[in-house]
Amino acid sequence: MANVTTNTEAQRMTFWEKIYLPEIARGLGLTLRQMFRPKFTRQYPEERWEPEGSYRGRPVLVQEEDGERCVACGLCSRVCPALAIEVRAGETTAEKERYPEKFEINMLRCIYCGFCEEVCPEEAIVMSKDYELVFGSQEEGILGKEKLLIPVGQLQERLEFLRQWR
Amino acid sequence: MDTLLDFGIVVAKGGVLVNAMLIAAAYMVLAERKIAAWIQNRIGPNRVGPWGLFQSFADVFKLYLKEDIVPAAADYKFHALAPVISIAVAITVYAVIPWSDVFTLGGKEYTLTMAPDMNVALLVVLAMTSVGVYGVALAGWSSNNKYSLMGGLRSSAQMISYELSMGLSVVGVLMITGSLNLMEIIRWQTTGGWTVFYQPFAFIIFLVTALAETNRAPFDLPEAEPELVGGYHTEYSGMKFGLLYLAEYANMLASSAIMATLFLGGWDIVPFLDDAAVLGLEPNSIPMVLLGHGAFVGKSLLLVFVFIWIRWSLPRFRYDQLMNLGWKILLPLSLANIAITGTVMLFLNR
Amino acid sequence: MPQILIDGRAIEATDGQTIIEAALANGITIPHFCWHPALSVAGNCRMCLVNVGSHKKDVDGSLMFDEHGVPVVNWIPKLQIACATPVAQGMIVDTTGKRTVDAQEAVMEFLLVNHPLDCPICDEAGQCKLQEYAFRHSKGKSRFQEEKVHKPKRVQLGPEIMFDGERCISCSRCIRFAEEVAEQPVLTFVRRGDKVTIETFPDTTFDSPYSMNVIDICPVGALTSIDFRFKARVWEMSFTDSICPGCARGCNIKIGVMNNEVLRAEPRTNMHVNTYWMCDHGRITTPDVINDSRTDGPMIRRNGVLVPTSWEEALSVAGDALRSSKPHDIAIIGSAFASNEDNYALHVLANHLKVTNVDFIKHNDHTFGDGTLRVNEVAPNAIGAHAVGIAPGNGGLGVDRLAERIKQGSVKVLVVLEDTLDNHSTELAAASASVDTLIVLSSRMSVTAQSATVLLPAASFAETHGTFTNILHRVQHFSPAIVTKENERYMGMQMSRWDKFGAPNDRWSQGVRRDNRAGWRILRDVLNALGSKVSWKAAADVFAELAMHVDGFKHMSYALLDKHQGVALGKGHSPDPAGIVYESHVLKPN
Repeated sequence: MANVTTNTEAQRMTFWEKIYLPEIARGLGLTLRQMFRPKFTRQYPEERWEPEGSYRGRPVLVQEEDGERCVACGLCSRVCPALAIEVRAGETTAEKERYPEKFEINMLRCIYCGFCEEVCPEEAIVMSKDYELVFGSQEEGILGKEKLLIPVGQLQERLEFLRQWR
Repeated sequence: MDTLLDFGIVVAKGGVLVNAMLIAAAYMVLAERKIAAWIQNRIGPNRVGPWGLFQSFADVFKLYLKEDIVPAAADYKFHALAPVISIAVAITVYAVIPWSDVFTLGGKEYTLTMAPDMNVALLVVLAMTSVGVYGVALAGWSSNNKYSLMGGLRSSAQMISYELSMGLSVVGVLMITGSLNLMEIIRWQTTGGWTVFYQPFAFIIFLVTALAETNRAPFDLPEAEPELVGGYHTEYSGMKFGLLYLAEYANMLASSAIMATLFLGGWDIVPFLDDAAVLGLEPNSIPMVLLGHGAFVGKSLLLVFVFIWIRWSLPRFRYDQLMNLGWKILLPLSLANIAITGTVMLFLNR
Repeated sequence: MPQILIDGRAIEATDGQTIIEAALANGITIPHFCWHPALSVAGNCRMCLVNVGSHKKDVDGSLMFDEHGVPVVNWIPKLQIACATPVAQGMIVDTTGKRTVDAQEAVMEFLLVNHPLDCPICDEAGQCKLQEYAFRHSKGKSRFQEEKVHKPKRVQLGPEIMFDGERCISCSRCIRFAEEVAEQPVLTFVRRGDKVTIETFPDTTFDSPYSMNVIDICPVGALTSIDFRFKARVWEMSFTDSICPGCARGCNIKIGVMNNEVLRAEPRTNMHVNTYWMCDHGRITTPDVINDSRTDGPMIRRNGVLVPTSWEEALSVAGDALRSSKPHDIAIIGSAFASNEDNYALHVLANHLKVTNVDFIKHNDHTFGDGTLRVNEVAPNAIGAHAVGIAPGNGGLGVDRLAERIKQGSVKVLVVLEDTLDNHSTELAAASASVDTLIVLSSRMSVTAQSATVLLPAASFAETHGTFTNILHRVQHFSPAIVTKENERYMGMQMSRWDKFGAPNDRWSQGVRRDNRAGWRILRDVLNALGSKVSWKAAADVFAELAMHVDGFKHMSYALLDKHQGVALGKGHSPDPAGIVYESHVLKPN
């Protein structure tokens, strides 16, 4: 510890800085000025914020006219770092053969990282703009297909945003 | 008959004082939040009532409705007693605060002060602030929680350390004014000029120690959130927590009022000059006394603002820094202040 | 013994070996699709193309080296397929050079031209050879812009097999398997060029008892199991090494488990027992044996009805019944369905009680066996049960005479391990109703379990460590794959990510955790209740004791069994070597 010099900061200070009082006064002056600056607060329930396409809100499933895009490949479920997604596949005779019999996202686990969206080979799960999530119970926080499916028309902005980066 | 009337007046004063003080403390919480918000470019509470003015009542209602949780291993009696001590001590100080000068009504003298012209008023104030530490220390100890205990310990150590400098800083004022009676001290200042002009160092020392005594930032180590969760009130909830919280603000207001009394001339409006003559009013008439009262309250509230302003500007001290400041700087300074005052007074031969 | 050089490594090959075999025997894997060690060589996928040459000789006949001392090679002008090129003395093979890699990338590009991008739908994804090679031996990009060829999808080739023509890369493994192993040559290529696809001959279906093995050997997802289709992704399951309980062959299998439910069984290579295959019966019934009609928690008969009870009570009732009966009033029936350990524990109990009426029920089904893997002995551990001492003692009764004696009223307590008395005779089953106390240790809610006085739920072979001794007298180890209340802590980190990290409030982790205990542990507790001092803490302790006391098992331990893929009885001191394990799907998560 011989080569460690202590308190160098204090040694560099001038007398006025050492007695602190002028510096304290300067600090107080700064905060006082801040009091008269314009406010940033948004009056939330009345003034709503409309996110851009890049916003990562609640993940949702894309619904097309003939049903969901999802083929229940389970990649979102695998990549999800919080293990929030559960997918159970079912078989159909439709061209895609496979569909999610059960698709649940536990919003209490979800961390909105967007990995599910990034990994999805079908562009079937995307992050919506929905940031208002309120649950009355733990069970309510687990969203099933009926809550997750959103018509493709409402998700255009996000899908276009994603295409810029593909 | 007169005795009964006097008694009634004292009881009424007491009732008004306690309620006014509690409401004031509640509103100081609101003020704290508002000022904090402004300093941080926010709006602050504005939902309950116009400009959020009823927020304080909402807070208190919420605290009343909350469950009162007592840790299983806590000492219940002392756990319950601690907030009572805190708030009781805080209220007691208000009895001696000289809210206004004396006015005559129907040949009888009245004052807004509850215990007017008490000859040891200043000692009462100092004594009561010393007792206040019991509430905090007891709260910390009886919770049976390491954070609480640490908070209580820090609080005791801090209060004892800073009490010394606080008491000594007041000595200069006493020497000049020559009285322990708070109303006398103010009367001296109405003519002799505010003591802050004679005792600027004492004022700064008193301000700093008052911050420490009331556990306000930058001396809020007993409740330092990053280290101690909530300090001595970690294990409190509901209205018991509310009482501890209110006691803190009540202490803050009391300190401000004492400072206004000791250094800023109390109800005196214009320093060095006779207020009644300047304003063209009858001395000791009701309007004059009320104006003085307004001045006193205004000065106190200004100091309260300073307290809040400092809290949202300065970072918290480290514990060793706190002790260094108290013992190595403030104590010698206050002693030097007494010596210099005494020397100067000796030469001026007063 | 030709010596060859593969990637600079000198390798001692055997005569008649192909390059790919010699490489595999030395731990070098050459990418391949159509080649399979158990099938004839087709050489049609071209994936195993390697650069082959010989050491160049100077004019004076000496071997030539360059300035770095590296041999100068006379490369054959065109690449050779490693699966069909026999090794020759002095052959030099390059599997990683630019020519080889270029060839592999070109082959992959051709294979992927018409392969659909439906990995998200395909059951093979995650254990797919084509996926694996697309990662390792392909450029990662396609230059193909035209429309892919469309072929029939969802064609049922047999009762268990679904075929997807578009995914097929025409390696012909399934065709060769049907012909050579299953000996039911009904599959064939039809059409030509990029339109080629696989069909069964008219009026035939691929329903061989071994048909589902083509699903495993299919390098892509063209052949999928109708039984399993879409139940889970490969990576969602955890796979545990186990032994098929379907017959006494004891095929080595892996059990795929998700959410504490067995979803599938698939063969595990063991050249001594089942080579690469298992039969469809074992594959389809194994999950059901573990998942369906199980016992869960101890039960006791009160007022004629079986009601759930605590372990303490069930064990004390069983212990009291055994303690208060004379040895010749007790009969003990071991089981060919239970492990060596459980049978041994039962044997210890019989010895402690001095009971001589000990036997087990033999299970023979002369319609089940065939010349390939299946054998007539349909219980997995008859040899083992006998070997550990489940046999009538001096003057004791065999199971065949038991019914008669019960009717005479001279059997008061009957202990049955893991078996159904109806499997022996309805007579015995009917007679068992008249014993005072019927103690049943069973993992399945069989008819016998339902008529028990005390039902002690035993763990199945998929829930505990244990060993089966197969018809070749080979002792083989199986490990727990399913979590019970007993082994929950032990299983903790051995499960797949899902099962590992699921919390009780996650809906996807709500699989049943049954309150079953390993048979040897139940018997240990009974023994201790009877005053014996048995201190087995794990199945390995029981097996260690067994290896010490029973001749055939001398020198055996679980570690030895695992290392040698099972050891034959009496060969504990000189076990057969395990041999090379050919893993078809290398990336498969486990």
